[in-house]
Amino acid sequence: MPFTPVLRAEALKIRTLRPLYGTLPAVFLAVTAFSALAAGSGAADPGSDPLFASLSGVWPGQIAAIVFGALTVSAEYHGNAIRLSLAAVPRRGRWFAAKLTAVAVPVLVVGLVTGLTALFTARAVLGGAAAGLSAGEQARGVLGCGIYLMLIALFAAGLTALFRSGVATLSTLIPFILVVSFVIGDAAGSAARFLPDQAGQVVLHQTSDGPLGPWSGLAVTALWAAAALAAGAWRLCTRDA
Amino acid sequence: MTSIDVRNLTKEYGTRRAVDDLTFTVRPGRVTGFLGPNGAGKSTTMRLVLGLDRPTSGTATVGSRPYRTLAEPLRHVGALLDSDSAHGSRTARDHLRVLAASNRIAARRVDEVLEETGIAAVARRRVGTYSLGMRQRLGIAAALLGDPEAVMLDEPANGLDPEGIVWIRELLRRLAAQGRTVLVSSHLMNETASFADHLVVLGRGRLLADLPMRDFIDARVQPRVRVRTPDAAALRAAVARHGHEAVEHDDGYWTVHHARVEDVGRLLSDAGVPVLELTADTGTLEQAYLDLTATETEFTAQPQEA
Repeated sequence: MPFTPVLRAEALKIRTLRPLYGTLPAVFLAVTAFSALAAGSGAADPGSDPLFASLSGVWPGQIAAIVFGALTVSAEYHGNAIRLSLAAVPRRGRWFAAKLTAVAVPVLVVGLVTGLTALFTARAVLGGAAAGLSAGEQARGVLGCGIYLMLIALFAAGLTALFRSGVATLSTLIPFILVVSFVIGDAAGSAARFLPDQAGQVVLHQTSDGPLGPWSGLAVTALWAAAALAAGAWRLCTRDA
Repeated sequence: MTSIDVRNLTKEYGTRRAVDDLTFTVRPGRVTGFLGPNGAGKSTTMRLVLGLDRPTSGTATVGSRPYRTLAEPLRHVGALLDSDSAHGSRTARDHLRVLAASNRIAARRVDEVLEETGIAAVARRRVGTYSLGMRQRLGIAAALLGDPEAVMLDEPANGLDPEGIVWIRELLRRLAAQGRTVLVSSHLMNETASFADHLVVLGRGRLLADLPMRDFIDARVQPRVRVRTPDAAALRAAVARHGHEAVEHDDGYWTVHHARVEDVGRLLSDAGVPVLELTADTGTLEQAYLDLTATETEFTAQPQEA
């Protein structure tokens, strides 16, 4: 069974479900709007990190990416859709790979466009404060924004396959990112730097003072995502549908 | 030739045995009715054939290949399992387009099966707005999409209106006449009797019967003959001479038990008994089924465990 038709079907599933693909423009809007606001309020503060000020909208915007990843998978656990999907594509590993590709590619593209837009917007707002950013740092920030959002969407997709429920995933991940990581991030010190969201967001900063650099931070987030996906794939491939 | 072959199939969920050492073959060119009380293992067997559940032991193949090894399975086997397998926010047409894309089925098939199942007019409406009967038709459309040689339908008449039930009956007959393999589960006897040629009967996961429907009824229900005559004494005497007994009913009819209409007609004619009416009272599938389950009381409907 070739991969391309399966991928085409999975992409078509997303395109034909408005509540799903509607979360992608939400990523764009949330990131750019919050980044512009943060840049506006941070412009006067000489101590703030100008790269993160430009891309800080990723923090609230990632919620939309998580919702996209979770809902794309949880739509299969709506009723008994999964049975029909697996009857059409009985090679479950291949089916899951197609599903994840259909999640990852649009989030990556939207993330890159979003990062670029947010950066240009923020530079206009920040003015002189952004002058210290090198071209390499800016490119890294945009690329990091796209890759980070993609990884966090895949992390959510993997957890949803593991829990077989979008509600379980969202009610775990969103409070975690909004509250837990924020609170214990201050309290627990360097261990918290390895949490999936904090590690991956190092790439959005001009300078990093923790144990992780921009790319090693993204690699840690990728490991989290890979672990969630492996657990989800294991559940999918070993359990009765 | 695409037969569905089930060999020593067993499926356990924890300690409960849903399917117990089941062996049967569903052959092409006829409609096989899949009968049994709720919880007998009909749906589980279908899921096992489709590779959705893994058997504890035994095998299930379609055209002598395990379903999971089929490259584009919808082109070989079409199945209706649940009426809630289409996402409520998607349109029926998009639901079928997705399935067609995954198995490289020509896009025109989508419109063809929408026509064939009578939901073309509502195909661009969201499935969430559909009645159960319409969802059922969409499920059948999905089963027919790949023009498969084998079709497996779990309770297809669920939620259908009277026209829908006539339609499904004719559809099943037509699919079998085209040489396809057709397996249809039901717990409604009269409905099954209207389309099945062959029967596979399950009880608590085990095979109770696998034989042509006519044979099943004839073996289980003794034939009777209904007679109306103005000369009751002559009737009783004539049948008694051949070892039969005639029993009178309140409405003026007589019933000759354990007798075929051909024999009774001949012997009444030979004896010169005036006959106003003579009818064969052949058994129904329901009578035969109830007779089977009465003799196998342990197989009758059980309260379903979780």
